[in-house]
Amino acid sequence: MKKLVTPLLLLSLLSAFPFSRATAQSAGAGNPTETLIRNATVLTVTKGTLTNADVLIRNGKIAGVGKGLKASANARIIDATGQYVMPGIVDCHSHSMLDTINEGTLAVTSMAHTRDVLNPTDVDLYRELAGGVTTLNLLHGSANPIGGLNTVVKIKYGRPASEFIFPGAMPGIKFALGENVKRSNNPNIPGAQRRYPVTRMGVEEVIRDAFTRARDYKKTWDEYNASVKRGEKNLVPPRRDLQLEPLVEVLEGKRYVHSHCYRADEIMMLINIANEFGFKVKTFQHVLEGYKVAREIAAHGAGGSTFADSWAYKIEAYDAIPYNPAIMMRAGVVVSVNSDSDERARRLNIDAAKSMRYGDLTEDEALKLITLNPAIQLGIQDRVGSIEVGKDADLAIWTAHPLSVYSRVAITMIDGDIFFDREKDLAQRAELAKERAQLEQAEPNRPAAGGRPPQAPRGRRPSHDDDDVEQGDQP
Amino acid sequence: MPRIRLFSALFILAALSIPLATLVVAQRSAIDTYAITNARIVPVSGPVIERGTIVIRDGLIVSVGDKITPPADARIIDGTGLNVYPGLFDTNTNLGLPAPSPVPSPTGGPGGFLQAQLRAATTPPAPGPNSTQPPGLQPEVMIEDTIKPGGNEIENARNNGITTAVSAPRSGIWMGQSALINLSGETSQQMIVRSPLAMHVGFTPLRNGGYPGSLMGVFASLRQMLLDAQRYQKLQEAYERSPRGMRRPDIDRSLAALVPVLEGKLPVIMYADRQREIERALDLAQEFKLRAIIAGGQEAAEVAKELRDQNVPVLLSLNFPRRTTSASPDADPETMRTLRSRVDALKTAAKLSGAKVRFAFQSGGLTNMSDYRANAAKAIENGLAADEALRAMTLRAAEILGVSDRLGSIETGKIANLTLIRGDLFDRNARVTNVFVDGKPIEIRATPAPAAGTGTAAAAETRITMAGNWTINVDVQGQLITGTLTVRQEGGSLSGSMQTQVGSSEFSGGTLTGNAFHIVTTMSIQGQSVQLTINGTIEGNSLSGTVASPFGTQTLTGTRQPGN
Repeated sequence: MKKLVTPLLLLSLLSAFPFSRATAQSAGAGNPTETLIRNATVLTVTKGTLTNADVLIRNGKIAGVGKGLKASANARIIDATGQYVMPGIVDCHSHSMLDTINEGTLAVTSMAHTRDVLNPTDVDLYRELAGGVTTLNLLHGSANPIGGLNTVVKIKYGRPASEFIFPGAMPGIKFALGENVKRSNNPNIPGAQRRYPVTRMGVEEVIRDAFTRARDYKKTWDEYNASVKRGEKNLVPPRRDLQLEPLVEVLEGKRYVHSHCYRADEIMMLINIANEFGFKVKTFQHVLEGYKVAREIAAHGAGGSTFADSWAYKIEAYDAIPYNPAIMMRAGVVVSVNSDSDERARRLNIDAAKSMRYGDLTEDEALKLITLNPAIQLGIQDRVGSIEVGKDADLAIWTAHPLSVYSRVAITMIDGDIFFDREKDLAQRAELAKERAQLEQAEPNRPAAGGRPPQAPRGRRPSHDDDDVEQGDQP
Repeated sequence: MPRIRLFSALFILAALSIPLATLVVAQRSAIDTYAITNARIVPVSGPVIERGTIVIRDGLIVSVGDKITPPADARIIDGTGLNVYPGLFDTNTNLGLPAPSPVPSPTGGPGGFLQAQLRAATTPPAPGPNSTQPPGLQPEVMIEDTIKPGGNEIENARNNGITTAVSAPRSGIWMGQSALINLSGETSQQMIVRSPLAMHVGFTPLRNGGYPGSLMGVFASLRQMLLDAQRYQKLQEAYERSPRGMRRPDIDRSLAALVPVLEGKLPVIMYADRQREIERALDLAQEFKLRAIIAGGQEAAEVAKELRDQNVPVLLSLNFPRRTTSASPDADPETMRTLRSRVDALKTAAKLSGAKVRFAFQSGGLTNMSDYRANAAKAIENGLAADEALRAMTLRAAEILGVSDRLGSIETGKIANLTLIRGDLFDRNARVTNVFVDGKPIEIRATPAPAAGTGTAAAAETRITMAGNWTINVDVQGQLITGTLTVRQEGGSLSGSMQTQVGSSEFSGGTLTGNAFHIVTTMSIQGQSVQLTINGTIEGNSLSGTVASPFGTQTLTGTRQPGN
């Protein structure tokens, strides 16, 4: 198959600049406004699969899907013969690009916001792009019954943090039930009081108490606003409480609840509290026993965002089965498969494929687990999650069918701009090695006694992994 | 008789014109009039005067120019061969603060500021006994209340030409309110030029297990307290206007201290080095319309446009990041981003200058203060104009801190803070010969000359050798930190490495003069670069001395390991 640009040509272009900075690939201007991906197998997810078809992108949006599309003269042409185009993967549970994950000192930390701690230079973002992921739901950790606020981002690696924010995504909040919450009471100071709660009873009470206070807070402000409207004078506004305001938004249906949970009893507990206070849980996260209460989850209207086949890493994960996504889906729950891991986020395509083996999902149903369904769960399905005219051009081009273990991502595109290009990456390696050698020789990089610089990179550094509460969470 | 009188007159004249090292530290003497004559004067606010005179009286500059006759009662200081600059500023220090106490700290240091995360081990100067907030979230704390004159650190700064410094709180989230001090005076009141100077904000969580324990919580508490302070101000004003019929609002000193910050009357100095840290600080300032100043600013060049558009100046740290150890082959290699950032840090000043962002220099935790000017010279080598560098240590610093009407340049009527240097300010071989603070000359204690080439052959034969391995102990707030010091010696030059429980580093350029050694090294502690200055003496097989760091000064002892 024809490559985008021959490696030789690229190398000769690069060698013309003796000490150029090999930067993240789409860090600035110069991206064409029109792109035509030609002759691919297009997995639209919602409208079937088209072979030998084209995708036309204009100004960041999908402008056409079909055979024999025409582009204007200065469009970028990507020949994708033999390759597969699918929507960018939406990872519904991620802790990438966060300088800190847990504010674990209080049981209710709804005033904490992930948006304050975004780190756009996290290299795991690039690795996720290389796995075909384009959108992340950045969640607070699972140390608290009521945790902090989330941020939905597009992985525009190389751009400043403000450009990552997903426009129009519904705001959300993280809840957590079960062992992580009970266990994150390790005292930091010997002899210090353990943070309440330490049991599942306490977890429920904390949530009920928080919503009771939020309900009272809302009433206070509603009364104040009504008095103002009536024209009363000399009024003192109530104190603004950043902890309770997001919970009021939950009560008013303006903020989604994403709740980490495992056991069937705690899933039912939260459904009951939500019904009691008149709000809906948007998604149950992990929900490894969701198959036991799938009908109840569906009746409540919540989605489930789960693992493909992780299990038994904690007591509460012991009853997990790999048929969980399929069973919940058949019961009418909107199901997604997530990573909760910088490492697993690179191979969500394989995790989705597992549900074809365990549960007999069709190809499109499996693809939905990582595209349209998480988009629905985040309220962004009008913009991403499938390849349809009018949606954002968040796509990945794969070298084989994405549900195959042999497939790799060739290009990842967000809003029509390329943020990962495998060939460009490989072509840049030599130049990067040269730049590294030069940097190692620079004076600030040479230790005082003139020691030998280290050798070339060897092995990968460990990345944030798994669902557990971070040990010694670095603030 | 006339001959003796003439001889005495000549003798007196000769004595008076002997340069400056013999000048006695001025106590409360009757002499308060000085004239520096025949010097090259760099006023900064105007053109250089190649050969001129400055007259000082009663702490102020009375006249500056090339055609000035010194008054009869002036003590003459011959400035031949000297450059006179306005006294240099260091816009972020802990000078004058008491040493950190041994009590485990409730707070972390200011985040984002590469040195400051290590200043965790201190209780804030005056935790308000009636405060509604925990230590670390007490904006009412004022440096003015605990600052003390004198001490080695102040003298060290002065010996390197610094006459004015921002004395800032060490740690916390709302760290407290700093003071601008002149580096002399017998009482704290005499030192203070302006207090409060600014509110300081660090972005490191409390480490006592309480809220906030993470960076998210830090921002949430900053935001909540600012909202509460807005409400506090409204309530207090409403109550004062008409107390009858209104329930009395509680007094809260912490919130009261934030009111001038919300009104823009007190600037807020925020510690931030990385691009995202600076962006977060700017976002917070915009949210509450604060008058922000960024301290640290290592990656400020990446945010230059926003800094200029929002008119936010930068107190740029000259404590450039260095690699501290060569890695073993098993270690993970450093990322390209880290390697690039160290090289780019040297260029930040030049880029800010080009982008028209106002900035001044700060020492950023340097303990070897001769690096202050030397690193400014490195910034000049990396593209910063020399007179921009000078301005960043003088008049621009005064402008940013709001005292340019009384400091920062050599002009009539301004405070007589002057730095006299033999050689150009940024020349590596230049020596500070005199410093005037508040119109009084202060003795400069020169650093010992390098040992190379000095001493007789006999002395060389009996030269003490420091080469080998030493077991060392450093007493840090009651805790003993052990380690090994490995020294290679060539003549009087020392190089080698230091491994301790908290970090390792390598060093070169150390000196051994007689039995006195002087080593400067940068150690990586908990991922941050910390500069340590070690001075001590060797007696037989033991050594003793001090280690100066952002913590303060700690005692060092050591014994030679057998077999060396």
